[in-house]
Amino acid sequence: MSIHSLPLTATARLPRRALSLSGWLDRESVFSWLMMALPLLFLAALVGYPLVYGILLSLEDRPVAEPGHFVGLKNFITDFHDPIFWRVAVNTFVYTIVATLLKMVGGLGLALAMNQDFRMKNLVRAVLLLPFIVPTVLSTVAWMWMLDPAFSVVNRILIGLGMPRPGPSWLGNPVLAMISIIVINTWRGLPFYGITLLAGLQTVPPELYEAATIDGASGWQRFRFVTLPLLKPIILIVTLFSVIFTFADFQLVYVLTHGGPQNATNLFATYAFDIGMGAGQLGLGASVALMMLPALALLIVALTLYMRRA
Amino acid sequence: MNDRSRRDFLKLAAAGAAGAALVPAIGRAAGKTVTMLHESSFIPPFDEYMKTTLAQAYEKETGVRIVYETTSGGSLPTRVSTIAETGSGADITMNIILMPFLFADKFLDVSDIAEATGKKEGGWYDAGREAAVVDGKWKAMPFSNIGQLMNWRTDWFAEVGVKKFPETWEELYEVGKKLKAKDHPFGFELGHGFGDNHGWLYPLLWSYGAHEVEADGKTVAIDADETARAVDFARKFFKDTMLEDVLGWTDPSNNKAWMSEQISCTNNAESILWFAKREFPEIGKVTDQAQNPAGPKGRFHVLNAVSHSIFNFSPVKEEAVAFLAWLMDPKQLGGWYGIADSYYQPLLHGYDDAPMWQVEPRNIPYRDSLANAHIVGWPAPPNRQLAESVAKYVIVDMFAKACAGAPTKEVIKNAEAQLKEIYRAV
Repeated sequence: MSIHSLPLTATARLPRRALSLSGWLDRESVFSWLMMALPLLFLAALVGYPLVYGILLSLEDRPVAEPGHFVGLKNFITDFHDPIFWRVAVNTFVYTIVATLLKMVGGLGLALAMNQDFRMKNLVRAVLLLPFIVPTVLSTVAWMWMLDPAFSVVNRILIGLGMPRPGPSWLGNPVLAMISIIVINTWRGLPFYGITLLAGLQTVPPELYEAATIDGASGWQRFRFVTLPLLKPIILIVTLFSVIFTFADFQLVYVLTHGGPQNATNLFATYAFDIGMGAGQLGLGASVALMMLPALALLIVALTLYMRRA
Repeated sequence: MNDRSRRDFLKLAAAGAAGAALVPAIGRAAGKTVTMLHESSFIPPFDEYMKTTLAQAYEKETGVRIVYETTSGGSLPTRVSTIAETGSGADITMNIILMPFLFADKFLDVSDIAEATGKKEGGWYDAGREAAVVDGKWKAMPFSNIGQLMNWRTDWFAEVGVKKFPETWEELYEVGKKLKAKDHPFGFELGHGFGDNHGWLYPLLWSYGAHEVEADGKTVAIDADETARAVDFARKFFKDTMLEDVLGWTDPSNNKAWMSEQISCTNNAESILWFAKREFPEIGKVTDQAQNPAGPKGRFHVLNAVSHSIFNFSPVKEEAVAFLAWLMDPKQLGGWYGIADSYYQPLLHGYDDAPMWQVEPRNIPYRDSLANAHIVGWPAPPNRQLAESVAKYVIVDMFAKACAGAPTKEVIKNAEAQLKEIYRAV
């Protein structure tokens, strides 16, 4: 075998390998794109297309079952002149901020409690997931009964404690109605936080706690300086998801109050639906729905930047 | 324009594969299947009668198969929007309230069969025309009204010495005060439901001589002394006769309150009596119904018309027209009305003395209420702007805010500003 034979063979083989399909597929740049193609197609079809279509719709005067015509930003200007729109915007922010904070704090507490060793731990963990598993419409109907003045468990207790009958009107009073939907949303979303944070807690190496204990750290200090920093990335991700779900919530309000009383619980999604589907104003409805986008986009960018920096 | 070639049909079938999948493709291609979309009835035997009796009889007679597809309550407008947008999914649809006007461009003109049916069956009620005629053309075949009346507890009214339902709103208010004092409050929906709020608030507004928009369909007329009087009345009516909870009620709420004996009077469709009779017979015995009370300018009711329209893109238009004409024959229609007692009130005078009214004489006020029943927004013609006003609950919330404590002037000014914004482009 001459010393030249090796490179010769190699150069002779190279074009053949490049041309063969399996060789081409083996290339990382090709393979990775192939793996990405299907999800990308799904995203384009199920997220990209509706989003672009929604944006186009929002720029049109488009009554249902009639052809639309381009009106530029007129729909958005109409929204800005609409007092209900501003009420809806405030409602959505209050609902999202309060419910997310409650879920975050409650979820963390739940995760810490579930992380302890106790009997029937797995059963309790599974049961805690129930509010998240039960279809929203069903659980909301159950809440509808619980918040009915005549049947409400809460009112029974309050009346038992001396409050005059029939007790508070949970869905008739604007402030109580907002509190009610926040409580129900928190109840429903808590397990999502709890279980995800629990998974995060279990990845914290026990040695860190041992080291901290040896260093004389108290329970609070172990939580503050070991648990919390290690959980932070997970808390941020869960918060991101939770904010998106809560901001765009529809079912709970649609079933329970339909935005009443006097729009006190109307959110972007329910209001957009009423205008788009109830009034048949698809363009105007799309413009209301799209107003969710800037706020959510800002939040997502802010959280992503924060996570990168961290 | 309505003639569809085979190519068009194939295009439609391809575009609406999902909708078309609901119908056996072979039957549709042969032009022998007509799909009729209906909202699930609150009276279950009504849907069963169509499926098991009428559809089968028609297939036996003509060979055309009728697929009667039901959609859940409240979802009909969304389904029809989808069908109208995609051009596929059903051939005939049931309409409620404003749908014939919102989808007029997609509906076939059925003036011929509607006029013929009217002539044959003693003539249409004016309410029938109001519910289906768009720009001079019948875009739907009226089927019935699902009226809203006063439902009242005869036993509790008797406790305060009232044997006959009060004639005027003021008289009803006086009775309500006494009943609330006896822990039998009234319950009239003031929240964001769909039917039971409009069912009494528009008639109340009209009975005081007020309306939201003039008959020209563009001049906003809500800021009037008559409106202020109606709002003032609603506020005291709420405060002195009702539960606070009604401000947050949606449509099932008053039925629930009725069956749990929380309220002594409400405004609802006949389903409340129908349900009570079957599930809570003791309550059914003491439930009666009456026309809405009169105000200073008369007595009014809301027209919740049900009608049927044929989509103009249907590949089986002729079969659909033939079926609709057949359905409107008393032989078929009488049985269909009859099975639901009188939950569906015919809009044809030919049924004024039909045996269906004798099944439950307490329902007769529904028939009589047709004489002064109007679509929400009356006297303005139903249009997109009206649909927007309804979807934004402008009138409902005007009353509700006043009941919750806001001054009359303020709520009327707010409603006027909203309506002016909605009608700005007209």
